[in-house]
Order: sequence, then structure tokens, then C-alpha cells
Amino acid sequence: MRLWALLRKEVLLLLRDPHALAVLFLMPTLFLVLMAGAMSSYMQDKPPALRLIIEAAQADDASQFFRDALQAQLPDSQLLDESSERLARVRLPEGFAEHLLDSPHQGPSLSFPAQFDKLSRQRLHSAVSIALAQTRLLAYLEDSGVVEAELSRAQRLQLVQQRTQSRIDEQEQLASGDLSGRANATQLSVPAWLIFGMFFVVLPMAGGFQREQQSGTLLRLRCLGLNLGTLVLSKLLPYLAINLLQFVLLLAIGVYGLPLLGLPALSLPGSAAAYLLLALSVALATCSLGLLLAALARSNEQALLLGGGINIILAALGGVMVPKSVMPAAMAQLAEISPMSWALDAFLTLLVGHGSLADIAPYCARLLLFAALFGIGGLLLFTRRVRHTQWTTHY
Amino acid sequence: MLELCNLGYSYPGSSRPALQGIDLQLRAGECLGLLGSNGAGKTTLLSLLSGVLALQQGELRWSDHPSLGLVPQQLAFYAGLKVRENLELFADLYRLRGSERRQRLQQCIDICALEDKLARRSEQLSGGEQRRLNFAIGLLQPAELYLFDEATVGVDAGSRQQLLGAVEQLTAEGKTVIYTSHYLEEVERVAQRILLLHEGQVRLDLDKRQLLGDDHGLLLEWPGPPPAGLSELLARLQLTAEALPKGLRIAALNGQQLLAITEFVAAQDGLPNLLRFGRPSLEQLYLRLNGGRL
Repeated sequence: MRLWALLRKEVLLLLRDPHALAVLFLMPTLFLVLMAGAMSSYMQDKPPALRLIIEAAQADDASQFFRDALQAQLPDSQLLDESSERLARVRLPEGFAEHLLDSPHQGPSLSFPAQFDKLSRQRLHSAVSIALAQTRLLAYLEDSGVVEAELSRAQRLQLVQQRTQSRIDEQEQLASGDLSGRANATQLSVPAWLIFGMFFVVLPMAGGFQREQQSGTLLRLRCLGLNLGTLVLSKLLPYLAINLLQFVLLLAIGVYGLPLLGLPALSLPGSAAAYLLLALSVALATCSLGLLLAALARSNEQALLLGGGINIILAALGGVMVPKSVMPAAMAQLAEISPMSWALDAFLTLLVGHGSLADIAPYCARLLLFAALFGIGGLLLFTRRVRHTQWTTHY
Repeated sequence: MLELCNLGYSYPGSSRPALQGIDLQLRAGECLGLLGSNGAGKTTLLSLLSGVLALQQGELRWSDHPSLGLVPQQLAFYAGLKVRENLELFADLYRLRGSERRQRLQQCIDICALEDKLARRSEQLSGGEQRRLNFAIGLLQPAELYLFDEATVGVDAGSRQQLLGAVEQLTAEGKTVIYTSHYLEEVERVAQRILLLHEGQVRLDLDKRQLLGDDHGLLLEWPGPPPAGLSELLARLQLTAEALPKGLRIAALNGQQLLAITEFVAAQDGLPNLLRFGRPSLEQLYLRLNGGRL
């Protein structure tokens, strides 16, 4: 009865705390949506369409063939003859058709506006190289009399493509760990900001305990001879439940909400048991950290600063803010100390690596060990703190 | 009901004990007014009685299972909960059930005049209303010993009378009360016995009537030093006066003596700050006993 009363009280207090609700639900949702949107052009399954200008000195067949071959390499992209916009430009040199069989050969020149990103430059460079090779191959085949004269341009392109393309089999290997380099914006943003949001339960948890102590209610609870286990459970259980609710809600936003904004939907491969294990492992880690923080902080303000600071550092280290795949090796190694990194790796193992419960077990084991260590430390300090609650006087 | 034997306590790192050699017997139906200036040891004594501090020296002997109702100085409730929710929560924590629960809740709501505040968030109550809620939560607990520590600070005069009435009702029902407050008129009203602590020791432990007596005395205070000739007048009238920080007090005097003194005062150039004839108040006695310190 006492535990139930205390649990009900914690939930009521939390539901009436708009700041806590904003930190736990609104903040991670906003981060999730904004960051998924912001990263969507870089981290996507399909490369973005390009717009570029092709400048040819002569309107001959070879230049036209090159243009078709390039379009085939960049199927969604727009190849323009002219534009007033600042676009990437492919300039075919004077006498392009005549010099195709020269060795060494002078290819087209490329110019890029400053805002043209590195990845797109590389993509355009590769596409131009392939289109040029195909154009030169056609010139060689024509020169050798292999190509029938009545073939249309499209048929010639098809012929060259047949001669230059090989079937390459791709096999997806199941993998675990940091798969942020392979993840799309949704696969990276949803788990990253979900984990970040889950860790923020430490703030209301620690803050609530400070208020309880400062107001003297803890003194009342002590004088009631309340079992310490009941008190600790009354602090842990509501926040474990909140963590699980965050887990479900934010995943649902990834699955159903992001597609409404034109972003890729999150798909959840793997077993429900794996997700449940992961959710419980993260929730236990966050709640044990919250308990420790509650025992360590001496005021609500201190709890806020400590909790917020620790979370931001763990997130920055753990690949939540910057994916580990773009970190230098030393930083990526340092990231391994953050429990957020373990949780994120486990998530990516499920979402990107199509891993199973066994594949995420090592990460969950680390999180559970973290929960055990911080939980024991938190419990000892919490007990000490409760036992040292004094009868305070102000007058 | 409760016996304290040679109770002592020293805080770590402190050179002198916070409490020393406290022997005290508390009887059922008795209200003990606990007085003492800051640092005298009141809080330490309350902490030991409530089990907040572990006993270091001496013994606490309860005649029955210890049960304690508590009204601390702090507003010890959840500000984010409504008044009713706070009362219900503590009723649950006190393990109150059935008709006893309903009866006690209603009684506390009535005594502390909270009926029309039940649906309001506790943080939205005025300071005095919050104090009344704090009081109600302490009163809600079925206990044999109730500790009230500055329980009425900020409460308006009308409500205060009601709360003091509730304390008197507790003792009438045979409960034991320890009441500490800097409002000495409150202690004078509710306590039957006064315990004065000074530097961790009992300086005085007396029945209130015995302490205040039945004699009428005179209290005189001046803006500056006492007028010339007063000492001679008092000697001639064969009166003994006790010096107070701003004046003097004469414990007992008759009509003739009172007339002579008032004529002397009237003949002076300036009027005194205070001239009061009657039974001494606890505050006057306390100031006298505690070296002028509240």
C-alpha cells in the first residue's frame, strides 16, 4: 500500500511537471525529427539528384553520345545546356570527337561551385569517367568497323553498356557494432535521440529527490520508519516505466511519423525480444545513473547541471551528436567508454546489421554491468543520504 | 509514556556536546513547552526523539511502541500535489484505512480549515494555508507523542487559535505533546510544563503555574538609563528589582508600593517605554532566565 501510494505520487508529480515532460518527450522528438531532416541529404539510401551543365564545343554525335552515357550514369539528375544558376559544369574540349582515340587523351574539364559537396563531386567525377570510357570505346568499335552504321544512338549506347558492364553480386553480411556509416538518417537519428532522451530521466529523478529532501518530506518519510527498499523502488519503477514509454513512442515516431515529413520510415527488423532486452538494459542503466546522481547532488540546481552536463558529454562521446563513422580513430575509440555508444551500437546492429538478440547481447551485458555498478554505488550513497537527513531549522 | 535518561549527543567535529545529561519524564496527556535560544539543543533533542539521529549516549524508554506525529518547521509535503492528494498520500503512508481514515481526514481538514482548498495545488496556497496543511498532515497520524516545531509560523491569528486548540485537544485526549516555538505566548497557552535548554543542558524544568506564579509584578523599561533616584526609592519601599536588558522587573508588590512607583515615574521628564503591572508572561520570564536572548 505504501509503495503504491509513493508510486502514484511520483507519477502525479511527473505528469504535472511540464519541464520534465518537455525534456523527456518533446526534446528528443524535436531532435529526432530535426536531425533526421538535417542529415537526410548525406545519409540516405539513394544518392541525391544532381543538376549540372554540359558544354560541348561542337554538337557532334560523340558529344551527344557522351551526354547520353552520362545521363545513364546519373539517371535522376538533370543535365542542362545552360543555366543562370551556379551549377557544376562539364566542358567538352575543342575537337572532342576527333581526339577520342588519342593517347594520352584530354578528357572534359569539370568545374564546381564552392557549395557543391565533396560526395557529389566524387560521384560526378566517377560518372564522367565511365561515360568518357564508354564514348571512347564506341569510337574504338566504330573505328574497328564492329558497329553497324544503321544503329541508332540508343542502340549504340546499349551495345557499349553491354560490353562494359559486368554482373557484380553483392552479399549483405550480417554485422554488429558501429554501423553508423551504413545507416540512413532515420536509422541513425531515431535510436541516437531516443537513447539521449532516455538518459534524461536522470534530471527529474535527481531533482525530485532534492526537492523531497529540501522540503522536509523525506524527514517525514524517515520518521515513518519507511523501508528503504520501498523508497528506492518508488523512485526507480516510475522512471523505468517512463523509459519504456519513451522507447515505444519515439520508435513509433520513426516508423509512422517521419514518412509523413518525407523522410525514410524506420523499419524494425529482428525480434521483439531483442528490442525489449535493449529497452530494459538502457532503462536500467539510466535509472541507476539517476539514483547515483540523486544521492550525489546537493540541490535541484546541482542535479540539473550535473545531469545535463553528464548526458551531453556522454552523447558527444558516444556518437549521438556526431556519428562514430565520421570520427577519427582515436575519438571513435574514446567513444567506447560511453554507455550511449553501447546502446547505439546495439540499436544499429538490429536496424542496419539485421542482428539478432544474440548479436546485441554483448552490448546489453555492458549496459547491465553499468547499471549494476552505478546502481550499487547509487544505492549505497542514497542510503547514506537518507540516513543523514537532518531535522533542519530555519527560525 | 517516555523517559529520557542521561541523553547526550555530540556532532562530529564539534568541540562541545549539543546535548548533555538530559533526564526527563514525559507523561501521557502532558504538553511540554520546549524553549531555548538558537543552538541550545532543541533540534538535537527533537531529532533524537524522532529517531532522525541515532542515540550516542543515554537511553530512551518508551512505555509502549513508539509512535510519533510530526509537524516540522519545513513545509513537509509535495508542492506539486493537490491538498487532498497530499492528505490521501500521507493517510496511505500512515496506513489509515476504513472509517478511521475517513474520520481522521475530515477532522484534520476541519481543524486546519482546508475544506475549500482541497482541490488546489499545494504550491498555490498562501504561506499560512501551506502551514495549515503541514499541520494537518502531522495531526493526521495516529500517535502517542506529537512533536510541533515552529508549527504556526506565518499562520493568521484566527487560524492560529484553531491550531492551538487542536494541540490542546490532543493533550485532552491523553496524547503527549512537545511544542517548541519562538511565539512564547503560544507555548504559554498550550504547555503545562516548561523545559528550558541552555547550551545543551536543562536549565529549567518546571510546571508552568509554578514558574509563572500567581503574584502580580511590575515591568518598567526606559529609552535610556534608569532615572536617578529610582534605586533609592526601591530601597525605601523594600523592593527587590531584577535588571533586564532595557529596564527592570519587580516580581511582587502591593498597591502602596505600586502607587509610589507610578508617582515617581510621573514626576520624571520623559515617559518610560513600558510600564506594565500584572502576572509575568512566559516571554518576560524567558528573557530574564535566558539572559535576554530569545
